[in-house]
Amino acid sequence: MARSFRVYQKKRGNRRTGSKKLGSAGEGLFFALVLLVGFVGLVVLIATLVIPEWRANYQFIRHPCTVRDLRIGQKEGDDGNLSRPEVQIEYELGGKTYRVWTYDVHTVRGGGYSAREDEAKTVLDGILVGRDYYCYYDPADPGVAVLVRGSDGWVWLSFLIPVSFMLIGGGGLVHAILTWGKSTERRANLARRASRLGRIATNGKARTDFPYVPAPDRIADSPGTRLAFRLPVVDSSVGFLLGWLAASLLWNAVVAVFALVAVSRFVSGNPDWLLASFTLAFALVGIGLFVYFLRRVVVTMGIGPTLVEVSDQPLSPGGRYEVFLSQTGRLRVNWLEMFLVCEEETTFRHGTDARTETRRVYQNRMLREEAFEVEAGAPFEAACDVALPPGAMHSFKSLHNEVAWRILVRGSAAGWPDFERSFPLIVYPRPNGPQRP
Amino acid sequence: MSEPRVTIRFDRNGRTYRPGERLSGAYRLESIPRDEVKTVEVSVLWHTDGKGDEDLAVHDFWRRSVEDDAGGPIQIAGRFETVLPNSPMSYEGAILKIRWCVRVRVFLTRDREVVGETRFRLGEVAAAAKARTT
Repeated sequence: MARSFRVYQKKRGNRRTGSKKLGSAGEGLFFALVLLVGFVGLVVLIATLVIPEWRANYQFIRHPCTVRDLRIGQKEGDDGNLSRPEVQIEYELGGKTYRVWTYDVHTVRGGGYSAREDEAKTVLDGILVGRDYYCYYDPADPGVAVLVRGSDGWVWLSFLIPVSFMLIGGGGLVHAILTWGKSTERRANLARRASRLGRIATNGKARTDFPYVPAPDRIADSPGTRLAFRLPVVDSSVGFLLGWLAASLLWNAVVAVFALVAVSRFVSGNPDWLLASFTLAFALVGIGLFVYFLRRVVVTMGIGPTLVEVSDQPLSPGGRYEVFLSQTGRLRVNWLEMFLVCEEETTFRHGTDARTETRRVYQNRMLREEAFEVEAGAPFEAACDVALPPGAMHSFKSLHNEVAWRILVRGSAAGWPDFERSFPLIVYPRPNGPQRP
Repeated sequence: MSEPRVTIRFDRNGRTYRPGERLSGAYRLESIPRDEVKTVEVSVLWHTDGKGDEDLAVHDFWRRSVEDDAGGPIQIAGRFETVLPNSPMSYEGAILKIRWCVRVRVFLTRDREVVGETRFRLGEVAAAAKARTT
């Protein structure tokens, strides 16, 4: 049935019905506005900060002057009092005497304020009233002069904001133009051709003969001691611990800054109880993060590494393979199990959140041992065979969906919490596809 | 007058193909005036269905447009032919399904579209519900 222009759209996840052209136009307009805001911001920054600073540095003329007075200039800002150093200088030019309040080019232009009054005091402490200095005056307006030249780092940092807007707006606008009026299939075809070019550029390393099956490179690059391949741990304990450590350090660093401010308010006799309460609550969370990290370190080091090796990689449906398991440490093990599992994992948008759901669709227990001890230098070792079902789905990974095979080792040891370690496998389709019955 | 539609048929009987096998067939635009057709796009593609956001990838794609044919009318019937890839296989999972199809999208005057789609299976992977769980 012919579908005509439709403004109204129904939405489920990122699937829409309705006018794609109107959607693309809206998207293009939005990104054009973001680009425009970034461009205007950039022009304003260049005009108000960069050009005056450049002129002061390269066009203003050096001239002797005398410092007549010092003061701290103040004004009320959104976050309280703002301060800047101000120096009154006197200089003669063409028979005329000029007396102006100045410091640097930002002061001259009405800026240069900061929340740190002590910094302004420190600057003024280094300048002596009545003493001769050199100033730099504007040849186009001799009544404008600065005592200090140079470049402030924050001026360049402030460029990050408009440049970010321009990159996001420009990128979005280019995307909107490239996909304007194109069907989903045509866009997917363009993406496919672009990814082919990418593969050529990377010397053809990505496998093109099994599209959307993950390459086994990372899994098959470590030889085993008993069998051909040693499998890496999916969520490696070391990686997990480092990630958790980084998160807890970051959290606690931010809390430390707030704590410093809260303490300084108490010391200065102006306590901020709201800030102190929030800081205390966040500090408790930070302590919790660090305690959990320490607990995981103890568990990881105490239980010891689990090694899994397989006789072949990638695997194939219907194939039979040997698996070797080694558990090190000093443990009194209650039970230890090894499974072959297949899980579907999907990511979807729910409102503004991205959620992930995992469903296990195949589980085969390969091994279970109970009540044994692992001694230092004498790891527990076991070998078994595993067969993949002939009609099994191969490994699959696209942007939002995945079919993942793995070997799962679960255990319980006296004095330790239960542990679970996961080892990825890659399953390829049969060379000629599944056999017809 | 009947509704505009696209019919798609495969040359071979049966809808299950093996990786590397040749897929061929024909499409036909029905009840669509020839002079109203601006562009015809034929895609052999797979897409996901289920709980997750949809992923879609085109395996083969052909496009015929009035502009490409120097203003001449587009044929209301055409053929397609491609060699199918090794993966991904068609799959009926618990929260994820992978579906292959031939899709013909026809762009008409006055910003109208007609879409026809016929599914086929690539490979014979067992459905997740039938997989052995021990």
